[in-house]
Amino acid sequence: MTVTLYDVAYWLSSHLVALATGTSASNLPGGPWTTAAVALAWLVTGIIVFAASLVNTLILIWWERKLLGRFMDRRGAMHVGFAGLLQNLADGLKLFRKQVFSPREADQFGYYLAPTAYMVTSIILLGFLPVSTGFVGGSVPLSLLLALAIFSFAPLFIFVGSWSSNNKYSLIGGMRTAAQLVAYEIPLLLAVVSVVLLTGSFDLTTIVMDQARYGWFWLPLILGLVVFSVAMLAEMERIPFDLPEAEAELVEGWSTEYGGMLFAMTMLGDYVRGLVGSYLIVLLFLGGWTLPGPLAPLAAFPLGGIVWFQIKTYLVFGVFIWVRAALPRVRTDQLLQVGWKRMLPLSLANIVIAAALVVWGWPHLTWPAL
Amino acid sequence: MAATSAPPPPPTPPPAAVKKTAPAPGPQGLAGLVVIPMATAAKQFVKSLWRPSTIVYPYERLEDPEFRKRVAVQSGRPIGVGEVWDNYRGVHALNIATCISCNLCAFSCPDVCIEMVNVDLGNGKSKKCPEIDYGKCSFCGFCSDACPEGCLTMTSNYTITTNHRSEMVYSPQRMYSIYQTKLPMNPIRQERPVNEDAILLDQDLCIGCNACARDCPTKCITMIDIPKPQPKPGEKLPKRIWKEPMVNDADCVRCGTCISVCPKECLYWGAHP
Amino acid sequence: MSEMWVNMGPQHPMTHGLWNLRVKIDGEVIVDADPEMGFLHRGIEKICEYRRYNEVVTLMDRTCYVAGLSWEHVYLMAVEQALGVSVPARAEYIRVMSHELQRLASHIMWYAAFVQDIGLMTPFLYGMRDRDLILDLLQSYTGARMTYEYMRVGGVRNDVPVGFTDRCRKVMDWLEEKIHDYEALCDRSDIFLKRTVGLGILKAKECLDLGVTGPMLRAAGVPRDLRRDHPYSAYPELDFVIPTHDGADVYGRYRVRMEEMRQSIAIVRQTLEWLDHHPGRVLAEKVPRFVGTPTPPPGRESYILRRGYPKGRGFAAIEEPHGEALAYVINEGAEHPYRVKFRSPVMVNIAAAKDYLVGYRVSDIPPIMGSVDICVGESDR
Repeated sequence: MTVTLYDVAYWLSSHLVALATGTSASNLPGGPWTTAAVALAWLVTGIIVFAASLVNTLILIWWERKLLGRFMDRRGAMHVGFAGLLQNLADGLKLFRKQVFSPREADQFGYYLAPTAYMVTSIILLGFLPVSTGFVGGSVPLSLLLALAIFSFAPLFIFVGSWSSNNKYSLIGGMRTAAQLVAYEIPLLLAVVSVVLLTGSFDLTTIVMDQARYGWFWLPLILGLVVFSVAMLAEMERIPFDLPEAEAELVEGWSTEYGGMLFAMTMLGDYVRGLVGSYLIVLLFLGGWTLPGPLAPLAAFPLGGIVWFQIKTYLVFGVFIWVRAALPRVRTDQLLQVGWKRMLPLSLANIVIAAALVVWGWPHLTWPAL
Repeated sequence: MAATSAPPPPPTPPPAAVKKTAPAPGPQGLAGLVVIPMATAAKQFVKSLWRPSTIVYPYERLEDPEFRKRVAVQSGRPIGVGEVWDNYRGVHALNIATCISCNLCAFSCPDVCIEMVNVDLGNGKSKKCPEIDYGKCSFCGFCSDACPEGCLTMTSNYTITTNHRSEMVYSPQRMYSIYQTKLPMNPIRQERPVNEDAILLDQDLCIGCNACARDCPTKCITMIDIPKPQPKPGEKLPKRIWKEPMVNDADCVRCGTCISVCPKECLYWGAHP
Repeated sequence: MSEMWVNMGPQHPMTHGLWNLRVKIDGEVIVDADPEMGFLHRGIEKICEYRRYNEVVTLMDRTCYVAGLSWEHVYLMAVEQALGVSVPARAEYIRVMSHELQRLASHIMWYAAFVQDIGLMTPFLYGMRDRDLILDLLQSYTGARMTYEYMRVGGVRNDVPVGFTDRCRKVMDWLEEKIHDYEALCDRSDIFLKRTVGLGILKAKECLDLGVTGPMLRAAGVPRDLRRDHPYSAYPELDFVIPTHDGADVYGRYRVRMEEMRQSIAIVRQTLEWLDHHPGRVLAEKVPRFVGTPTPPPGRESYILRRGYPKGRGFAAIEEPHGEALAYVINEGAEHPYRVKFRSPVMVNIAAAKDYLVGYRVSDIPPIMGSVDICVGESDR
């Protein structure tokens, strides 16, 4: 059993409570005291995860700006902080200082709910994605399933936000989002099923450990990796599948009416989802924080796992940025065609391959005597 | 169509040269979906890794010749060869010493941003020189084109950022200080068309008041004596000074000051004698 | 959902300027379109009547902010006809070169904005980078990067500087190479083709009926180009090809513009060759006084009546980057034009919007309207 961030926080908070009540940490007085210790532990975990994900997201946006800049023969942010590293922080602070307002005709509750929920559900995801052995907010046995479940909350909130904004662009953007995310949710899940078939577990730590032992999954499940990445592109609403916020025709899609802090939250939610998407690709197909056999000693230093995990994540996101630099946006009907007609069969084929591998005794393949 | 003065008459148009461009290519498979576009972007990525083509403006300036050379070498772009900034139309430079106060710059300004103001030359003398409001100026360069003495030119300086609009009004002295910095200046227009017109005089109306000669910036008008006619009996001679302006056409800059100061409207533009 | 009207504009990323496209959509399908123009009307034609002939040139640059020199050219051709001024051959060649450089800059700008409408931002930066080189060239002899104010009645303001032709040739070589990059990102990309082929179709007959000109007309297969059909300036002596396309769609317009850029490069090279070997005057020897130098302020204008200036009317038509631009100038013997009238190709091309928008989808509006090459400053004047 791995030690999680929550365990550490609980150890600390229980000792704190024990100190306050004069008992030992192993048998706290029941009732409100235990509740307080648990709540404190969750709070500390939440704050750490939030801060870590915020920092990570800001660096991710910086990475996108710099990399995209080079693809476009320009420089990207370069003045605030070292090589513009703090530029996003400055942008965020500027947005957070702005007046919060809503359109008069908007549905106030839904209008404020949507970006908040969108960002919060995105950040919750990071709470139980392991970044290295033991480095995980809370240990959940079915973490993969939970992650994907929470990941697919977003279309609901986007739709709520788009409807409450009372704007035609927002409405069209919201409709598109709903159609798009539903269309790509299925290939996404089917691609995940193949990984689960090979490992027999929904626990991401187990999946990574399996890969460390038997080889990364991208090789047997290359089809799954392609389907998962394309579906993830659509789920992240990035070019070439950024129809919900196609800025050429729909201004900013479902977030047209949002400004200031609310817009910053939608933006942050987008990039946190990008981060989660890259995490999942690395975790499911690219061996997580491990390195393949001969290179393994390179990750042996303290926190080495986290460093490699981040490097891989950023490279994966770099590919998404590269795609953004090279491909135009597709049209709604084309997008749905790709989703239903191409991705779905491919993901099914991928499952067949995975099932065949399992039948043939993955990971120690024994060719059936036919 | 405007007739060209090219010696040979234009030959007949070439026969219809029409080229049908290729129709759209069909689906190109994986290459068309991702490989070729992404390879193109990657090519540019590698090229701009060391030095992107952008210019970090406040620190690097295109008018700096050293920088132009460096960028041309580093980014591989064909810029920065030769003196590109000689013709630039930026903030004006004024040589007060040679200004003849002819008012032509103010007349020619389409934006009416030039005003002639008094400049104290010391020893009790003063003269009118242009003062330019850069809040209105469109940098068309008509003023420096019109300047007959070449004393109002434009420089390659384009930074006129100020904190207040009133600071955008450049006095003649300020433009003189720009003149003294010897920035690259817009050369005086190489070719000036000869004017078809000249200042002509309606002798019947002139009263010989000397106003034109007094105000002529180039002093090309001299008052010459004319014989006083003998009045016939009963006829009353007009009440006037028996002098008449004579314009030295070679020196005339055709500013029209004489015409505008003439109290009797006896000077006018006419066909070149 | 029932049908609804959506305003795309006046402030909208698709518009490239200040105009409003009202579209009636049924779900994602367009059932009606109604372009609204005039947000950028500045009354340029009226202002022209209060400016001396040369000063109108400053307004021409502001007419179209991507093709200022083309408008200067068409206006001055009309004025020179109205005033009876002849232009030296060298000036004509410099004008043609400027015009073609301007066409290149305009088409590159179009390409940049058009591809960004489809969602690809990279070529936008490429286009701006390469257009900057043309602006550098133009600046080196006109003195400004956007508002050139370069041409004058009877020629051009000054000759090209020493070493200009070599610099220009280098840039032309660079551009020719870069056009391949542009095409690699578009022609070789299946997504781009899916977004452009067969969209916004406006057939040749409809084009001719509606007065649509320029690359849109040539993309419909009609080889009409004023540079060849009604040659002006130095074009009769130059050798070039008119590209057409059969598709009459967005892709065809893209294709035609790409080829036109190559042809412009070829024309610029020919003019550079000519300029190298034919020194001479660039401004007419004699122009009417009211063109050459300014006159005193109002209130003292009675002298004008003293001399009957020749009256006349001038008409000129050129192939501007966006289409056929026409200018008509009436000279009543005063120092200002009596009346100036322009025909903007963009105005006509946008006005036909309903004919090439209905039946397509909301996502198709940016590529279709982008392919029209909209310059609102020019259409609203």
